[in-house]
Amino acid sequence: MKLNRRRFLAATAATLTMPATIDFASAEEKVIRFAMPQDFTRVYTFVTAEYSQGQRDYITLVNERGGINGYRIIADVSDHGNDLPRAIEAYEKAKREGAVLIDPLSTPVARALVPRALEDKINMVTAFSGRSDAADGTAFPYVLPLSPNYWTQAGLLVDYFRQQDKDLKGKKIVFVHIDTPFGREPLPILQVLSQKLGFEFQAFPYTPPGNDQSAIWPQVRRARPDWVMFWGAGVGQTVAMSEAVRNGLPMDRVCSSVWLSESDMDVIGREQVKGVLKVEPCVSGKDPKPVQAIINEVVSKGKGAGPENKVGTSYYNYGVMMGAIMIEGVKKAFERNPGGPITGLWLNEGLRSITNFTAEGMIPPMTVTKEDHQGGGGGRIARWDGTKFVPATDWFAANQDVVWAEIRKSSEEFRKSGK
Amino acid sequence: MDSSLIIELAINGALIGLMYALVALGIVLIYKTSGLANLAQGAIAMTGAYVTWAIAYGVGAPIWLAIPLALVLMFGVGMLIERLALRRMIGQPVIMAIMLTLGIEIMLRGLLPGMFGSAVKRLDIGIPQAPLFVGDFLINRATLIGGSVSLLVILLSLVFFNSRYGVVMRAVSDDQTASWSVGIRVERAIAIAWGLAAVTAASAGILWGANQGVDWSLSLLLIKALAIAILGGLDSIVGVLIAGLIVGVVESVATGLIDPLVGGGTRDIAASVIILLTLLVKPHGLFGREHIERV
Amino acid sequence: MLYRRAGLRHTRYEDERQLWPLPFDRGLVVLVLVVLVAAPLLVNRLYLVSYLLPWVIWSTAALGLNLLMGGAGQIHLGYGAVMAMGAYGSVHLVRAGVPFEFAMVGGGLISACVGIVFGGAALRVQGLYLAMATLAMQYVVDFVISHVPMISGGTQATIQVPTVRFLGIPVAGDLPTYYVALIICAIVTVFILNVGRTSLGRALAAVREKDYAAEIIGVNTFKFKLLAFWISSFIGGVAGSVLAVCYLRAISPDQFHIELSIQLVAMVIVGGLGSVLGSFFGAALILFAPIVLNNLIGGIADGLGLSISTDLRSHVPLMLYGALIIGFLLWEPLGLAKIYNNVRNYFFVWPFRHAQR
Repeated sequence: MKLNRRRFLAATAATLTMPATIDFASAEEKVIRFAMPQDFTRVYTFVTAEYSQGQRDYITLVNERGGINGYRIIADVSDHGNDLPRAIEAYEKAKREGAVLIDPLSTPVARALVPRALEDKINMVTAFSGRSDAADGTAFPYVLPLSPNYWTQAGLLVDYFRQQDKDLKGKKIVFVHIDTPFGREPLPILQVLSQKLGFEFQAFPYTPPGNDQSAIWPQVRRARPDWVMFWGAGVGQTVAMSEAVRNGLPMDRVCSSVWLSESDMDVIGREQVKGVLKVEPCVSGKDPKPVQAIINEVVSKGKGAGPENKVGTSYYNYGVMMGAIMIEGVKKAFERNPGGPITGLWLNEGLRSITNFTAEGMIPPMTVTKEDHQGGGGGRIARWDGTKFVPATDWFAANQDVVWAEIRKSSEEFRKSGK
Repeated sequence: MDSSLIIELAINGALIGLMYALVALGIVLIYKTSGLANLAQGAIAMTGAYVTWAIAYGVGAPIWLAIPLALVLMFGVGMLIERLALRRMIGQPVIMAIMLTLGIEIMLRGLLPGMFGSAVKRLDIGIPQAPLFVGDFLINRATLIGGSVSLLVILLSLVFFNSRYGVVMRAVSDDQTASWSVGIRVERAIAIAWGLAAVTAASAGILWGANQGVDWSLSLLLIKALAIAILGGLDSIVGVLIAGLIVGVVESVATGLIDPLVGGGTRDIAASVIILLTLLVKPHGLFGREHIERV
Repeated sequence: MLYRRAGLRHTRYEDERQLWPLPFDRGLVVLVLVVLVAAPLLVNRLYLVSYLLPWVIWSTAALGLNLLMGGAGQIHLGYGAVMAMGAYGSVHLVRAGVPFEFAMVGGGLISACVGIVFGGAALRVQGLYLAMATLAMQYVVDFVISHVPMISGGTQATIQVPTVRFLGIPVAGDLPTYYVALIICAIVTVFILNVGRTSLGRALAAVREKDYAAEIIGVNTFKFKLLAFWISSFIGGVAGSVLAVCYLRAISPDQFHIELSIQLVAMVIVGGLGSVLGSFFGAALILFAPIVLNNLIGGIADGLGLSISTDLRSHVPLMLYGALIIGFLLWEPLGLAKIYNNVRNYFFVWPFRHAQR
């Protein structure tokens, strides 16, 4: 047996095909494929495990109930570790296997896959991540955030401050953020709003991943802010809150983006950070009907995708929420084209016709259109009371005019220069 | 500029710098005896934190028992690494051994979160979070205790290196062949050096883990530790102490002073810039010894 | 029998010094070339885009790094930053209207000149300090790229690469991108293969073995180390620009992080320091091992009905990757190329069993 380069290449190719054919569904089977390559090991570790668990549990629930119109949903979960070659390979594999939707849950990966998704007409769902300007469906037909983006979240928080303080003129708002594109995203919105509403605005970036913020928070303390927003992920969030406590800042004036969960609270000490606020895109806890259904029909039968004590946490519910929206998209697609071949285009039409969807009361009514891929940008503010997050406001949308101005500015540039 | 802010930043920075210096101490120990830079030091710190967490929360032992147990375990781990991995690299060029430590770092970074779960874990060693005010300055209680512990350990190691066995280790780091010929057990000295380095790394890991929670990002302590080790001189323990203070203060104060001008993130590159400046001006560090190569 | 050396009579010095004196070797090389050029016709599109294309590009980068690490014996822990500078430099040049061929070269020049600044400082001292300096360079370049909006592209921090034309053909779609990458790789391979036969290569070898001894016999160590660094960074910059245009098509600062640098160093070491073939093998192993392992473990878990927690499963590639580096360094420090050489030596005298070599 001559071992030369060609044979070596051929042998490698053979080893590579072998495992990949294991989960190949035959063409006659009625399946709809969702590809979910996500980052389990590198940067998004804090959220991916629970999020993916929620998504998969919801899809299992739907399958257990007979699927949609007899079609089973398959979720292909894998790890791309926030590494582009692996992500691209996962994407190409998904494309070959006929996936109609991909959820990478990673901003850099989503950004890199945008040109491919637009070309290949595969729906890319970028929940709470990715390009904020993808909310503009006319420029990004196949990229769907389906969730309030960071600009909207910042707008919601500022409006909440306004509701609490009645008038923000002369007040001081401090924005502590991780020094990455994700952390810097809300800056333009906050600057526009500070001019519009008259508050003083100061930003304090901290080095990623944020395990050492000891030089930032004394400065925050000295600035004597009225409101503090902290914008980070994982370690950055827990350290930010501990530092805030250590610097004696009042917790009920401190708030965060959606990336805050019970596990973070556990790390700091549940009692320590009572009162801290966050943006909530969906109801948390075990009460919402979909979560109850999952507990009764999936978890209690042992078909859950992860540990039971994680069911009902914030990130788990985000996964359920996104799963529910995707399934609603499938239902709508069937309504529009009941016989239609299951393609990306078919699902795209369905996703873009979601109207007033509340996931049985779990999310604010969401309407996705050809122009608005965000779904209205509704959310609410929740407060940590020591054991769970309780809603501090009702569902509301705010400052969408400012947000959309920014979205359009960005998407215009994309349209023009392919940026 | 607000001078009280600078002083406060400086104090906190010095304490944090001492906590970084604890990791750097291990790097210096290993360099002194084996002649290579251990790039796995951050990962060993992370391992120490995970092991402590596992003993304290997984098995349920009280924390005052878990910490010494974990340290003993880590001493063993250090010796194991030296025995299994480094000993086979003895004849090879040093770049290979350094790459080996890099491989160990990657493997540990995959193994520990894989075994114990990648979510951030809480490590509570009983430090209250309430702020401690000295006059107008806020001193972070956790970093105060962390810094004091590091200082203690560094001073202890200085004392150790003047003791009898410390002299043995200094001999080994000077010239291994000569030490052999005098009858010193060189392999044993190197193994103990690795064990001690692992212990210091683990204690740094525990302190940092209590500060920020235990997850893979603890292995990023490596860069700061390297900067401190290089600035202080790769084979000087006094250097580690002084350089730790310098790096900590420079980082904190730079964040306070320069960030508003540049728009943020100077802490990021403070360590790297320090490395580069040291290499340009005084490559062997403040207290390091120059090695003269002989053909 | 296969690598027959009997009957080879050289009449000119050039024939004696050719790269592949044995006809069998020459035949192999031609075969591989034919396969690679005809690959789009032979293999599935998925394999072309996900496996062959990144392999070719990463091999180019590994070749550049191998020149520095294997040829001159220096460590470079910041090669990701070098590729980043090449990528960003050439993409900005292309967006400014410079033709792609020149933009590639421009990207390489930017990497080389900036890299020299960092390397030059540390080349005066021992190799360990060069490793630290290049590590520092990685972080500083990362910082500069992500903090200067002009370079990184504003709030979205992603720059789409516009369609470019290479020698008149638009580089879009699978085939042109693959061929562009292949051509660049071929050029770099030929260059590296021949470096060893020039005076530059011999000087680098002298510096690699014992630099103060080289100094004594009259080889200006500093100059040659600097030259090796420059050339290696140039190749890295070109590889970076090819990566950006052909594979990524949208670049953002967090793609060229320290992990990439470590991956490249691993490729070179696992492949074999100083060996051209080794760069290719190393790139293949490091690039595909995580993917293959992921699929394998997924397949085994499904097949046997085990449910390995996703956490553990997703960390296995990282573990394997570290284990690979450790394993190769411990048991075969000369890398995959040495293993290939062993096999080749076996076949020198096959079917006889005893090799004099």
